[in-house]
Amino acid sequence: MVPATLAKSLVGICGRDGVILDEERLLVYESDALTAYRHRPGAVVLPRSTEQVQGAVRAVAEHGLPIVPRGAGTGLSGGAVALDGAVVIGTARMNRILNIDAPNRRAVLQPGVINAELSEAARVHGLYYAPDPSSQTTCTIGGNVAENSGGPHCLKYGVTSRYVTGLAVVLADGSLVKLGGQGRESPGYDLVGLFVGSEGCFGIATEIEVGLLPVPEGVRTLLGIFDRIDDAGQAVSDIVAAGLLPAALEIIDGPTIRAVEDSVFAAGYPTDAEAALVIEFDGMEAGLDHDVERAAVLCERAGAREVRSARDEDERMALWKGRKKAFGAMGRIAPDLLVQDATVPRTTLPSILRGISDIGQRYDLVVANVFHAGDGNLHPNILFDRRDEHELERVERASKEIMQLCVDSGGTITGEHGVGLDKKHHMELIYGPDELDAMWRVRRVFDPGGVMNPGKVLPEDTIPSEDTVLPVGTGGD
Amino acid sequence: MIDAAVDRAGPVLAVLPESQVLVAETARDWAGGRPGEAGWMPSDADAPAVVFPASVEEVAALIRVANETGARLLPAGLGSWLGAGGWTRAGEVIVSCMRLNAVQHYEPADLTLTADAGLGLTEVEDLLLPNGQWLAVDAPGAGAGTLGGMVACGVSGALQGRYGAIRDNVLGVDVVTGAGRVLRIGGRVVKNVAGYDLVRLFTGSRGSLGIITSVSVRLFPRPEADVTLCYVGGAGEIVALARNVCTSPLPIAAVELEGGRESGETVCRVRLLGSGGEVEEVRSRLVDAAGLKPRQILRADESAALHGDRAAWEEGSALVVRLAALPDRLADTFDRGLALAGALGGEVAADALGGVVRVKASPDAARDEDVAGELSRAREVVEAVGGTMTLSQARGEVAARAGWTGRRGSGTALGDRIKKLFDPASILAARCP
Repeated sequence: MVPATLAKSLVGICGRDGVILDEERLLVYESDALTAYRHRPGAVVLPRSTEQVQGAVRAVAEHGLPIVPRGAGTGLSGGAVALDGAVVIGTARMNRILNIDAPNRRAVLQPGVINAELSEAARVHGLYYAPDPSSQTTCTIGGNVAENSGGPHCLKYGVTSRYVTGLAVVLADGSLVKLGGQGRESPGYDLVGLFVGSEGCFGIATEIEVGLLPVPEGVRTLLGIFDRIDDAGQAVSDIVAAGLLPAALEIIDGPTIRAVEDSVFAAGYPTDAEAALVIEFDGMEAGLDHDVERAAVLCERAGAREVRSARDEDERMALWKGRKKAFGAMGRIAPDLLVQDATVPRTTLPSILRGISDIGQRYDLVVANVFHAGDGNLHPNILFDRRDEHELERVERASKEIMQLCVDSGGTITGEHGVGLDKKHHMELIYGPDELDAMWRVRRVFDPGGVMNPGKVLPEDTIPSEDTVLPVGTGGD
Repeated sequence: MIDAAVDRAGPVLAVLPESQVLVAETARDWAGGRPGEAGWMPSDADAPAVVFPASVEEVAALIRVANETGARLLPAGLGSWLGAGGWTRAGEVIVSCMRLNAVQHYEPADLTLTADAGLGLTEVEDLLLPNGQWLAVDAPGAGAGTLGGMVACGVSGALQGRYGAIRDNVLGVDVVTGAGRVLRIGGRVVKNVAGYDLVRLFTGSRGSLGIITSVSVRLFPRPEADVTLCYVGGAGEIVALARNVCTSPLPIAAVELEGGRESGETVCRVRLLGSGGEVEEVRSRLVDAAGLKPRQILRADESAALHGDRAAWEEGSALVVRLAALPDRLADTFDRGLALAGALGGEVAADALGGVVRVKASPDAARDEDVAGELSRAREVVEAVGGTMTLSQARGEVAARAGWTGRRGSGTALGDRIKKLFDPASILAARCP
């Protein structure tokens, strides 16, 4: 609960319907989509304008409380969890598309606009917004900016940061800065690029300019069914080596296939298969069939027992269903799910997958894999029941081993879900003290007082002490 | 004052073995590029020396000593951006990373490359070609430069619409900051959101925050087909044609313009890259479209060679200016470029998809203050419509009068704090981008 004076000023700024104070309604905001971390916020504020965000930030800061920016709460790293009674500033009601500038293929919007709704609105101009995280029907662009979200199609089109060209940001002191804008070229450091993926630690983006792409003329989707996951991995390597550039290359492993087929999301994948590979091409109709034929041949050569091709949009959606609904389906098998997000060099995929499977067996855990095979972004899901304390401990140990395995192969701890609360203690697996020190100091450039989303991304025990501010060997003034 | 700066450089030069240092007159003979080739060391650059560190430790040692003595360093690769002299200031020691040129990691099937910053981009191309891959970046002047120089400058060419800007293709960098810290940021995987994106901060920072010693980049398979349609005509009709192509939903790799030539003709080159079937289809739709017909169609090697040649367009110019505005203002921006080129005796090239117009000139006859005046007027016009104007190349006096960049917006204070953070004693190229 926040102090009554703060509650009063927040209501004064955002109106009675823009402030949530009662305990029951605050429950909704106690976690993001990674439900392992739960903390009830002191209050939730839902501003409608940049000015209201500025006012709310100033009011909260005056009371010395931390601030947690939040989009739709679909994040998977605990990034939007309000620690220490923090006040959540949610952007859900700032959901207007301000301008779709079709001749320049860009849009300016408020942060609470839903990802899929932007594409929907742009479609009348023959344009769309490329990054498509699996949560795109509910997640917000503001959240995507904070997390630098990816999605299955970023293999060909790149992640969020490629598309964000300008930002208006409310900083921790309530001031508003405009970074970039009016297209890609802006002089000075790439502060837009630096802000994207800063996980709510640098400020709150209240206006976002993004680039749009023309909707491709045609799309073809293929599904390869494999008896061995290694063969599916080989097919991916062969497709890439052949110089083909699919829009997406996704693998769903055996345990996941069976979970999906047992659920309401059944997509018609054979349940005795050990891997399904979804391949999608887009572009001009004229070139597509040729690419599809080549990919199908490569799948067969790699050992696919069957290659299906979608004949129409309904079939295409069906092929994708198993991939898109995998997380939902797994919820049926076990009450709890721990999903990881490491990225590894593509060529190490087969050995990493075997390693993950070994770790699962050693700890007697079910590990189901769905992943963006084209860019080596893995999503091993460990299924468990947290009421079983022994199992929970095994999950934590297995999870750490999997992470270490991926890092040792030259990979990184998170490809698209972000560090948040969940992976901040893994940061030291990939960065040394100097890198973490640099990140802390850059964070303080934006937020000197540590008000914005404290306790996320960087481990506290790596906070630089002030006596190390001077550079090594500085002799000058 | 210049003498004092030269004196301060002394201890920096003592860091490296003599064979890795070129001093005073001999420095002016270093050729830029590889020793012995045509020189870039400009006549009005009073750099006392060029040093060639051969390891990250040597780079760090140079920076440490510079911090101790107050010497100023200007990071460089093969020096291809230093031509007009404006980038160097009196007493600055140029630190060329050309001897840091090893390939660290190249696994073709991963479509990534990690190499030392001083590796030449032509060497990169030679390495990738046999595997049917390429670095899909066409930075101006890239052929003459290094991987690290390309990343530090962060200036993208006309392919950025299709393949992303340089910053979208850089996965990781190793840097020695101005404060002497060795940082390894990012990584060598194509998707990475671990921690804040300092890679983007260093990309395009023009050596003002640190010296980049190693770079990881994303690669693409070389497209099966490469076709260029060349249109020639008056500026008005050609610019209109370019905009039509840009706003069509067809997959176009790049649309480039060139104008201000003696012949008075404007050229538009539409480049198509992709699978054979797709490129052929786009070509035939463009050719069949009503209006201007292409004067020439280049295919495969001919098309690639043309674009290789054009990359050198800026080479040897004493002044290169970059005007940028939203793409639908292309006609205005191009006109402004032509006017500037007319006033300064130069030519114009444009990336129509990106709305970027470059002007190159050799305004030897004009006085520096007149050139600067022209530039300031052009900047005023382009900024009035929300655009920007930056200088890529300029003589020192012109740059000092006109300014490398114009308006930098409300992020300036943040940028200044970041500069202070990584280079507190301000020993590195003081001109932030």
